[in-house]
Amino acid sequence: MKKLKYDVVVVGGRIGGSVSSLFASKNKANVLMIEKMQEIGTPVQCAGGVTDEVFKTLQMKPSDCHVTSRIEGADVYVPDGRRVRVADEKTKGYILERKMFDKHLAIESAKAGTDIMVKTRFKDLIMREGKVCGVVAEYLGETVEVEADLVIAADGVESTLARKAGLNMVKIPEKIFSCAQYEVVGLDVPSNWLKFYFGEQVAPGGYAWIFPKGDKVANVGLGVRGTKETAYTHLKRFVSRVDATPVELNVGGIPVSGPVDKTFADGLLVVGDAAGQVDPLTGGGIRITAVCGRIAGEIAAEAVKTGNASEKFLKRYEDIWKEKIGKNLVMSLKYRKVLDTLTDEDMNRLGKFAEEHDVMSISKISALKFVGKNPHLLRLLKEIL
Amino acid sequence: MKYSAERCGYCGACVSVCQKNAIELRETGISFNLKCENCNACASVCPLGALTFENH
Repeated sequence: MKKLKYDVVVVGGRIGGSVSSLFASKNKANVLMIEKMQEIGTPVQCAGGVTDEVFKTLQMKPSDCHVTSRIEGADVYVPDGRRVRVADEKTKGYILERKMFDKHLAIESAKAGTDIMVKTRFKDLIMREGKVCGVVAEYLGETVEVEADLVIAADGVESTLARKAGLNMVKIPEKIFSCAQYEVVGLDVPSNWLKFYFGEQVAPGGYAWIFPKGDKVANVGLGVRGTKETAYTHLKRFVSRVDATPVELNVGGIPVSGPVDKTFADGLLVVGDAAGQVDPLTGGGIRITAVCGRIAGEIAAEAVKTGNASEKFLKRYEDIWKEKIGKNLVMSLKYRKVLDTLTDEDMNRLGKFAEEHDVMSISKISALKFVGKNPHLLRLLKEIL
Repeated sequence: MKYSAERCGYCGACVSVCQKNAIELRETGISFNLKCENCNACASVCPLGALTFENH
């Protein structure tokens, strides 16, 4: 059996893993990242939309190698087909080529000093007296034992690692977006505009999207919850509206329950989808994971430096990420709750109202008038305020 | 549960909702252990319909 020793071992080589290993290595920790797939970034489980802020967090510039298109705004379609146009500084962003972006992050992390093992699957934790002291993994049928001061679990929505450390990670099916997406060719849509479609017919419990990648290529997908038919069946129906050829099929589960109760333990930090670090309203996770991954990497390096990876010390990871994005997540959760109670008819009424006003500058008075005409929406408004 | 390896997209959505830790995600598929109690949670989130309830 092969035995290795590192300061930090990161399990999972997607955005959460690469960002935390990158910032741990940048801060002088000796880091190993393991990834179960033989190719980092595959299979893709994401539509690839990010705001400009992500690149600031990562201290990187967007490059043609991993960015396909510049996004200015979004069109939201309510069930009756009405369109609400949303565009301001906050909606500006990019569509990523996730395979390339994930690989790029891993390369940056390796350049900063991270050792990487691909096709290496996490098997078990090494625990001593309740403290996480490393991982047991499997590489090409060979068992590898990696001792580490600290483990970072970035092993995705399915995170089995943190469960083994006793954290409650199990998600409720009703709070998972079951998603399917085609990358299609031949879809004539503007390359700078996202499209979202709501309604029981299109995507019950979720929404459908078209994210343009330029040159008539687009990610067309949807997420659903609590449906009899699979996400794939809904997707087939949705894409049958357009004449386009798929060149890739992506599937995945996205947690929209908000973050898990606890994202640290003795010798362990949890980041990304594993930690439920996903916007519960949109299901978007890249921005939040970039922020949390960076904090995890920095705290991990500090823990190594001070020789203190105790639960008490690592709590500061959760304190800091909650301080940075916790409020936004709480708001998003409230919006999610409200959205979940809206009927198609409610959404149509809201769509009609938004159509009659400039949605980016709706005055309080006209909003109040609208709620006055739709009293059952007032109760929902109270939930948000 | 009945598992169709041919339909599986190995995304791990099933693993995330399994209360019994009965599913292991591998590089290109999943495997069940004996802890499975046929609760059907995994099937309800599978995007491709690779999991179906098995009547004994």
